[in-house]
Amino acid sequence: MMFGSADALVQLAIKSRDPYVAAAVHELATGITKLELEALICGTRRTALAIARWEHTPASVLTALAGVHDEAIELRLDKNPGTSSSVLSGLYEEARSKDKAGLTKLIAQHLNSGTEVLRRIALHANDSECLLALSKNPAANAKVLAELSERASGSDIAVAIHKNIAQNASASAELLTRIFDASDVYTQAAILGHANCLAWLIAKAAASEEVLMMRVLARNRRVSKESLQRYAACEDAGVRAGVAANALTPVALFRHLIKDKSELVRREVASRVDLSEEHIEALSRDDDIWVRQRIARSPTTSLDVLYRLAVDAVADVRRAVARNSMSTVHLLNMLAEDKNAWVRSGVAYQANASQRILMKLADDKDVDVLSGVANNPNTPQSILKELVSSNEADVRRGVILNKSAARNTLLPLLEDPYYLHRVLLVHNPHLQAQDKWSLRDDPDFQVRFSVYRWAANICLKMPDTFLVTK
Amino acid sequence: MSKILVIAEHRRNDLRPVSLELIGAANGLKKSADDKVLVAVIGSQADAFVPALSVNGVDELVVVKGPSADFDPDVFEASVSALIAAHNPAVVLLPHSVDSLGYASSLASKAGYGFATDVYIVEYQGDELVATRGGYNQKVNVEVDFPGKSTVVLTIRPSVFKPLDGAGSPAVSHMDAPSVQSRSQNKDYVEVGGGNDIDITTVDFIMSIGRGIGEETNVEQFRELADEAGATLCCSRPIADAGWLPKSRQVGQSGKVVGSCKLYVAMGISGSIQHMAGMKHVPTIIAVNTDPGASIFTIAKYGIVADIFDIEEELKAQLAA
Ligand SMILES: Cc1cc2nc3c(=O)[nH]c(=O)nc-3n(C[C@H](O)[C@H](O)[C@H](O)COP(=O)(O)OP(=O)(O)OC[C@H]3O[C@@H](n4cnc5c(N)ncnc54)[C@H](O)[C@@H]3O)c2cc1C
Repeated sequence: MMFGSADALVQLAIKSRDPYVAAAVHELATGITKLELEALICGTRRTALAIARWEHTPASVLTALAGVHDEAIELRLDKNPGTSSSVLSGLYEEARSKDKAGLTKLIAQHLNSGTEVLRRIALHANDSECLLALSKNPAANAKVLAELSERASGSDIAVAIHKNIAQNASASAELLTRIFDASDVYTQAAILGHANCLAWLIAKAAASEEVLMMRVLARNRRVSKESLQRYAACEDAGVRAGVAANALTPVALFRHLIKDKSELVRREVASRVDLSEEHIEALSRDDDIWVRQRIARSPTTSLDVLYRLAVDAVADVRRAVARNSMSTVHLLNMLAEDKNAWVRSGVAYQANASQRILMKLADDKDVDVLSGVANNPNTPQSILKELVSSNEADVRRGVILNKSAARNTLLPLLEDPYYLHRVLLVHNPHLQAQDKWSLRDDPDFQVRFSVYRWAANICLKMPDTFLVTK
Repeated sequence: MSKILVIAEHRRNDLRPVSLELIGAANGLKKSADDKVLVAVIGSQADAFVPALSVNGVDELVVVKGPSADFDPDVFEASVSALIAAHNPAVVLLPHSVDSLGYASSLASKAGYGFATDVYIVEYQGDELVATRGGYNQKVNVEVDFPGKSTVVLTIRPSVFKPLDGAGSPAVSHMDAPSVQSRSQNKDYVEVGGGNDIDITTVDFIMSIGRGIGEETNVEQFRELADEAGATLCCSRPIADAGWLPKSRQVGQSGKVVGSCKLYVAMGISGSIQHMAGMKHVPTIIAVNTDPGASIFTIAKYGIVADIFDIEEELKAQLAA
């Protein structure tokens, strides 16, 4: 019999005396039952500390733990990525009143910290570590970063702060322009690569002879064709590679780069999706394996070339053909016989692999090949059923991760010795509610937590519906 | 004075690195300057390993001439038994390897020696020898002691103990392996599993990629970069689970512990407890991650808050320059 309602679920959790189960359903409870759950969660200090640190702890539990006012718990809450903005705000007050710079730094870098808290850190924190942490935090908005920049100007850490701001996605065009001139070449290069950098700044910088700037600009889609032309003739291979990678580079330019003396440049050319047959043909015969590998992987490469690369002396090239989304069943059938297991594994994971190929590969001894067969949605259920009893945990996990694995195939895995597998099954869409619920008394706390959390989520999403099954 | 006996392991004419790790472990067990570390190497070509085993920390080297160059469980069991009878060591250290699994338990059980396998910490607590091994699927540390045992046989987990630096000049002696009826025969040598892949537990420079690489098509550019930088490319579990790199390249609790690694560059890896279990001991860890709060930064010597693709491009340009 399964629980009947949110209340019944909470009662079961209380009855279990299990702090992790209590944490899983905490969000559902109110009033006295909530307090009972919290008593379980904080039953021993060790449990409370572990739950405060645990990455899966629900936000509502973290909020409750903040009320305990224990410094060791607070430290863990500051570090926990799930801690909510309101809890962090309270923790900031506490850290500030006790002058705890270490805790303030954790709040300054937390992605859930609210704008107001971050702004106060920008204006009031005196510890340079806190200010540096804040300058890297993408949760700090343009205004906070501008205030921070202003406050840091002229200080010892101004250069470091501006370097971080130049890479912070929230920095505004105005701020980036303001700090550009006074910055060193590294920060300037970062500003030029920033999505908010103004076009006129890019145009102005395009005249620079500084290699670092040219490397960044050569990849920039907002740079002029004339600049790309100049960069294509640059001595530095990194700059020419940038031109080869730039989608705006005209055909006339990369035709010339196909024969570049640096393989770094030719590899970038080989990654393009706008190559002509003639270019592909030339690059598929390149001496560098990574150039050939990229051609073997490209969806624009013709079947003729793919057949030739499928017998390349280098396994990485053959594997790339095996992973190419345009490879045909015939080609894959050929590669399924490859002497190298990593190539065969590439076929086993291929979405185009036929049932027949997968049945052949199911006789392989290599764990990567078998994991691919287990993962592949085209694999017949009969084979998946056999793989369920593999001695290799990786292979059994492949079946669990297989989008087509049917309920009957998966059922024996509810008793898999590896707890991770049982956790994954709780999230599997092909298993029924009663299958998942059967794991509620699992010996592993993570499995029990997952089952109760799954049930709690159903109650949260559909408070008025369901939940009685056999 | 007490003796610690180490049994060296070799395969296909190569001394296995774990042999030198055992010498490191044995030296950690010396209670006084009088204690001696004795290393034995068994096989028809065992003499060939004398130079490689003449290292700091070895007091005496015994070359046991056996009938075959390859491992044979019966010959090894009889030889180690004879060595124990001759030298009366307090502790015998064997590698926790497929070879030792073939005879260690039988050796210990027949003579009633103390015995523990897959040991990763071994020390004296007072006069008491205590070996630590994993229990419950490596979730708990189990401390094993051996009351009343004058000889204890331990199989030691590879890639945990550090070899000692420097050469040595041990006294070398010879003995013949006892003649025994061998019940097995070497027919062929077959490399198991991802046979043609590198053993990541033995390499010293690793670049590791995680879910931050986004798509499978991006894996190859990191392969290129790792090749150019002279690193071995490894990964976190989601990458191996997706079949983007072989399982043998997975670092972590359910993957491998990269015991010999000196430099580990983590690219787009968050630093879960399970991943760190395989690499947190590495002396120099460099982490690249866009999230400044990523746990990996807590163990990194150098942290770079940046996009791995920017770093990859720049490193390649630097290497090409
Ligand atoms: C029983 C068990 C055993 C396990 N065993 C292992 C194991 O052996 N090994 C293992 O690794 N895991 C193992 N795991 C899984 C582990 O819990 C984590 O899920 C896994 O390590 C996460 O891998 P990741 O860091 O690659 O991915 P994520 O945690 O998703 O991290 C990706 C990181 O990339 C960063 N990022 C994203 N884009 C970019 C970019 N462009 N530039 C820079 N950074 C970027 C993100 O900020 C994030 O920090 C195990 C789990 C369980 C339960």
